[in-house]
Amino acid sequence: MPITDGRSSRLYAHLWRWPMPVWQLLFFLVPLCFMVLMSFWLVKNYRMEPAFVTANWEKMFSRGYFWNAYWRTLGLAGLTTLIATLLAFPAAYALSFKVSETVRRWIIFLLIIPFFTSFLVRIYAWQVILAESGVINAGLATLGIGPFTMLNTAFGTIIGYLTLTLPLVVILQTMSLSQVDRSLIEAAWNLGSSRVRTIATVILPLAKTGLIIGAVFCFILAFGDFVSPYYLGGSKPPTLSILIIDTTKSGQQWPRAAVVAITMIVTLLTVAFAAVALAYRSRVRR
Amino acid sequence: MGDDLVVFDSVEKHFGSFTAVRSLDLKIQSGEFVALMGPSGCGKTTTLRMLAGLDTPSAGEIRLNGERINEVPAHRRQTPMVWQSLALFPFLNVRENVEFGLKMLAVPEQERRTRAMDWLDRMEIAQFSERHIEQLSGGQRQRVALARALVTEPSILLLDEPLSALDANLVIRMQGVLTRLQRSLGITFIYVTHSQSEAFAMADRVVIMNEGEIAQVGSSRDIYRNPANRFVAEFVGRNNILNGDVRAQPGQTGHNQRPVPDDCIEVKTSAGTFQAAFNGQPPGNGSAVTLVVGADLASVTAAQPDTSNHVRATVISEEFVGAVVTLFMETDDGTEFKVQLQQRELDKLELETGTGLWVSWDVANTHLIQA
Repeated sequence: MPITDGRSSRLYAHLWRWPMPVWQLLFFLVPLCFMVLMSFWLVKNYRMEPAFVTANWEKMFSRGYFWNAYWRTLGLAGLTTLIATLLAFPAAYALSFKVSETVRRWIIFLLIIPFFTSFLVRIYAWQVILAESGVINAGLATLGIGPFTMLNTAFGTIIGYLTLTLPLVVILQTMSLSQVDRSLIEAAWNLGSSRVRTIATVILPLAKTGLIIGAVFCFILAFGDFVSPYYLGGSKPPTLSILIIDTTKSGQQWPRAAVVAITMIVTLLTVAFAAVALAYRSRVRR
Repeated sequence: MGDDLVVFDSVEKHFGSFTAVRSLDLKIQSGEFVALMGPSGCGKTTTLRMLAGLDTPSAGEIRLNGERINEVPAHRRQTPMVWQSLALFPFLNVRENVEFGLKMLAVPEQERRTRAMDWLDRMEIAQFSERHIEQLSGGQRQRVALARALVTEPSILLLDEPLSALDANLVIRMQGVLTRLQRSLGITFIYVTHSQSEAFAMADRVVIMNEGEIAQVGSSRDIYRNPANRFVAEFVGRNNILNGDVRAQPGQTGHNQRPVPDDCIEVKTSAGTFQAAFNGQPPGNGSAVTLVVGADLASVTAAQPDTSNHVRATVISEEFVGAVVTLFMETDDGTEFKVQLQQRELDKLELETGTGLWVSWDVANTHLIQA
């Protein structure tokens, strides 16, 4: 008897096909639907009751502190994306065009190492470095400068965001720049474009998609992160992620927290789709 | 033809322990069509890239218009190149690709457009000016690449195997386009190729390179008929190459008991003893020489010929290319002979594989390479 008759090979294919959709259904789609439903529920005497009222949405959307947190989160994540993209580019450029294949592999490996340790541990390390009596201020004090308040500020939050995102952005940008056809770069030099100018004339247009994808990942990670604003930003004023924690802790307001969460998801989806549309926008005109 | 436009003066290029070009001396005049030809890894592309500033010479000097350009960065050289891959910018349309070089020279937009359209018109692709590169055929892309390189009106154009990606018919057409273009512009073309037919069909002068060195420089005919060394004889054309040593000088008694004629020497090879013409001083008896006989200069007959250079050989196989047939033959001692002849001549011989025939060639057509 052949090992794979029609039926068993189909069974085998199904075995591999189904875990992923099932997982996504159980642990993503179902909770998501539940969260959307929950945003219409009521909380009475610290207990949730199934209902269908828009009170949670109206309440959150009419509050100044919600919108403050919203724009603040958007601004911080946006600024982080900008800084990470600009900081990563020279590094990724050097990794792609200036070093040997071996050196590039080693550095990419080194860039992955931070992910071996817990993000929380890395943030605690930053606390030690940034604190009023921390490493940086102690160093500056010997020069007679400072101390500067860096912990519990927006600066601290952004440092945290960058700790989370920068290695990833460098890796994604490097992968994208490494794909750029060398002969196109040389062709630009050959046609009178200086090395620096070639970045704008040829490299950016060719690496655009990868660079935007890197920025999108950075934005998504920063936008949703609560560790940085909590431990380095002092959680006041809150970002949306801090707002979710605060809302659930004070008075079991899970439905209102769901409103915040859904708003975040919609924002991220909008940003992601807009960025992908920009990244893959075709120049073909017929 | 005028002064030397390009001079390579003892130029060398090493990549780590690998020597790509060793001690290259070459002068190229303005208005010349020069082909650099050789097998892959012979240094021809590196030579071209050094001229364009894409590789820096390890030693020696390159001069353009009499000025040393070793340190001049690529973007200031005005040595546009047509790449093997064409290297057209996929994010720009046809017209924008052609305008690129002008844009880098800060030519105003209106003039840029006019000049680009003029060139597209000249290359007969003006109707595709707003098309995306991917929407063009191979031949059309070739023309875009040429227009892009020539729109800045350079005094020199570098071409790195530009036709190798095209099919055979298109190659012939583009060869015509290139030669006409070069003649009408009167500028220097330096054309790197591994294809003999391309080099010989287009170039005024062919430079044969091998292992980073120039093996021979000359006109197509010169290189084809008078190879300077064994490498060129093997690389170019289809030659029969016989190694041997000199046995008799003019006037001395040859192997057939008759005196060797004036301007001839007799050479003993493993296939037999043959006579060869020489220029100048004949090599002395006992010195090692190589005899080269073009496959198209040898002939086959059923009866033993009366000429001094002939040998009996057996047909091993035949190769047909249109009206021309190449017979691959072998002598009793295992020496291979190739003979090219017309299809209609072959029919008269009525031969079969394994047939024994006489291969013969004129003494005057026996090219002698010393040492």
